[in-house]
Amino acid sequence: MKLKFDDSVEEFRVEFIAWLEENRPSKDEMEAAPARSSASSPPWARAWAKRLFDAGWLVPGWPPERGGRNAGALETLVYLEELSRSGVPRTTNPQGLGIVAPSLFDFGNPAQIEQYAMPLLRGELTACLGMSEPDAGSDLAALKTRAVIDGDRIILNGQKVWTSGAHDADFCFMFCRTDVDVPKHKGISIVLVPMNAPGITPRPLKEIVHPDFPDLNEVFVDDVDVPLTNLVGDLNNGWRMANASLGHERSMVWLMGVLGIEAAMRDLIELVPTLLDELSPHERAIAVDDIVDLHVDMVTAKCLGYRGFARYVKTGSAPEQSLMKLYASEVRQRLMLTAAELVGPSSLALSEGIGESVGSMEGYFATFAGTISAGSSEIQRNIIAEKILGLPR
Amino acid sequence: MDLELSVDQIELRDNIRNVLEGSCTRGFVRGVYEGTCDADHLWKQMVELYWPALAVPEVHGGLGLSFVEVALLSEELGRATAPGPLLATTSQFTPMLVEAGAGDMLTQVAEGARTGSLAVAEAGRWSRVPRTSVATRTSDSWTLTGTKTDVLSGATVDSFVVTAVDGASGNVGAFLVDASDAQITPTAGLEPTLELADVAFAASDAAAIIAPASDSGPRIERALEQAEVAMAFNTVGACRRIFEETLDYAKVRVQYDHVIGSYQALKHRFANMYLAVERATAVCYFAAIAIAEDDPGRSEAVHIAKIAAGDCQRLVAGDGLQLHGGIGFTWEHDLHFLLKRAKAGELLCGGSAAHRAALAELLDLRHARSATVMVREVAS
Repeated sequence: MKLKFDDSVEEFRVEFIAWLEENRPSKDEMEAAPARSSASSPPWARAWAKRLFDAGWLVPGWPPERGGRNAGALETLVYLEELSRSGVPRTTNPQGLGIVAPSLFDFGNPAQIEQYAMPLLRGELTACLGMSEPDAGSDLAALKTRAVIDGDRIILNGQKVWTSGAHDADFCFMFCRTDVDVPKHKGISIVLVPMNAPGITPRPLKEIVHPDFPDLNEVFVDDVDVPLTNLVGDLNNGWRMANASLGHERSMVWLMGVLGIEAAMRDLIELVPTLLDELSPHERAIAVDDIVDLHVDMVTAKCLGYRGFARYVKTGSAPEQSLMKLYASEVRQRLMLTAAELVGPSSLALSEGIGESVGSMEGYFATFAGTISAGSSEIQRNIIAEKILGLPR
Repeated sequence: MDLELSVDQIELRDNIRNVLEGSCTRGFVRGVYEGTCDADHLWKQMVELYWPALAVPEVHGGLGLSFVEVALLSEELGRATAPGPLLATTSQFTPMLVEAGAGDMLTQVAEGARTGSLAVAEAGRWSRVPRTSVATRTSDSWTLTGTKTDVLSGATVDSFVVTAVDGASGNVGAFLVDASDAQITPTAGLEPTLELADVAFAASDAAAIIAPASDSGPRIERALEQAEVAMAFNTVGACRRIFEETLDYAKVRVQYDHVIGSYQALKHRFANMYLAVERATAVCYFAAIAIAEDDPGRSEAVHIAKIAAGDCQRLVAGDGLQLHGGIGFTWEHDLHFLLKRAKAGELLCGGSAAHRAALAELLDLRHARSATVMVREVAS
């Protein structure tokens, strides 16, 4: 156990900070054209992705030809820390960079890598992830969107829902049913579907926060015809690939969650001195107690996350993943609620654009994206109880 | 930041656990509770294994291990609800002797020839600055007057290090007093294995091992911080075992044709308990290493560790008892030893509320800009 990183890791940090200061998109640039969904790519975001890719700072752990520099896990950790501190998003298409591209590298053929994965890295394309359906939410394997192979074509029919960024994405990494006569986990395949293919209709769902900038979509799939070469990996192997795909995301997601809480806590602490001065002594004591609790939550989240990370580095796996997803999303929710309540009625003001600022009630509602999506908190508790603690289903 | 144990540390912890599982059985603990056993034999075995020497510097005949190893020992002592003066001697007495550079005394500790504890709390409050205990300079030494409460193993140790204020200068000092010079009132009550006592001093002869001076406060605090984190570990050790035993029970207890652990209402409570235990463990390790490395953020980490251990025991002791149902409420069942250790661990060395208040002060929220910058720098 140790608290500090080795000198070589700190040198890596210094190198990245210097590059970041030189190459980051400016705050004005980002605010003038915010990414309106998780698959939108304003000009600054495209240019930023390209710069990251060319300099080997996109995914430091990957080789240079994929936008990395063969960095180790600890280097990746400090990279994420500094990126979080800078307030610059790593990508405006997290599913594309975090899930779709690595899955294509693992399971796709060379043509798919060339045509879809590499452009994702360079910011030339964005992707959405077609998983949930009206009757397949937490129970993903119940999905029904049908893909029928007809010679060298695949014909798709069905409906997706909760698809982030579908209306802005260039293509969809779509999970569909290719065999209805086998147990539900064994008949799923993955197909790459261009979002401009005839028969694909994304319908954005206005959300309870910043309704002018919807992210989630229903996606209707009617007789969509794509070449058989768009099948990813082996037929009916989709469930195994799904678990591997999400694994890519999970290996880092707890750190992103923790770093996000740290950033939000910094924002809260900025607000605090002025707010506290307005309060009577007793109310102030109550507020201070709440803030101290959040500070404890933030530090404990960091310790849990970093401990899980150390275990991940040493063993290649960490059971903390469900735990961190659960804890980080719930801490963030508590933090945003406490901040908004502390700010008072002015927390009801609508934010400009799509910021989810600390101290706004809109920001609190936005945190439910974290506790509902990617396996709700309730599902995470089931997973912890069954997979980690061994309680029977 | 690497919060995983090393191979050597895991081996040490496993060795300690194995020994305690063999020697500090539930039957033995029950015997202590019921007054039919004492801890003497266990203590002798611990001395043979050099456990008291763990954190005594090598120059004084000890093993010279870090605070992390002391913390692991404390965790295992909590897990086993071990009686005897080891917890007090290694996690309270020794750190203060090391801070004071009291070499001779440390050699005796390493040999198992002397046990000791910290006498800090007054009127039930663990305070880093004593309020009523007063030290008075004599021609060649000091005398000490005051009453200390809730002294760990106060009923059994050979010596106390007592915090007291020099009546003349107002500075705090740490004073070594022989148990024979104190009036000791055992207060074992609900948790007899901790051997708690109130200890009164009436012009007792005292040796100033950390003499009252303008810089003595921070030195004393450094030793107190170790006691606090060790107590957090002790609490978490008991809690983890409560959690494990409750989980085991939920896997075998059948109601309505299903084991009760298959019901989602219980699953979610177990997930929450697991989170509480892991959360406290992670931050306790963080505090232990901050102490071992003498990190500038150590005080903050100490408070958070004690707070997280407090949060943990609140949930786990309560749910552990609740989910055992009626059987856990019986004296005959062993669960209550752990429940009582967890609760005592919360109350000793400063409760959660005291540590929350101290953390609030440290964060200085009304002038928070500078404080957070400081915390951030420490963290990075």
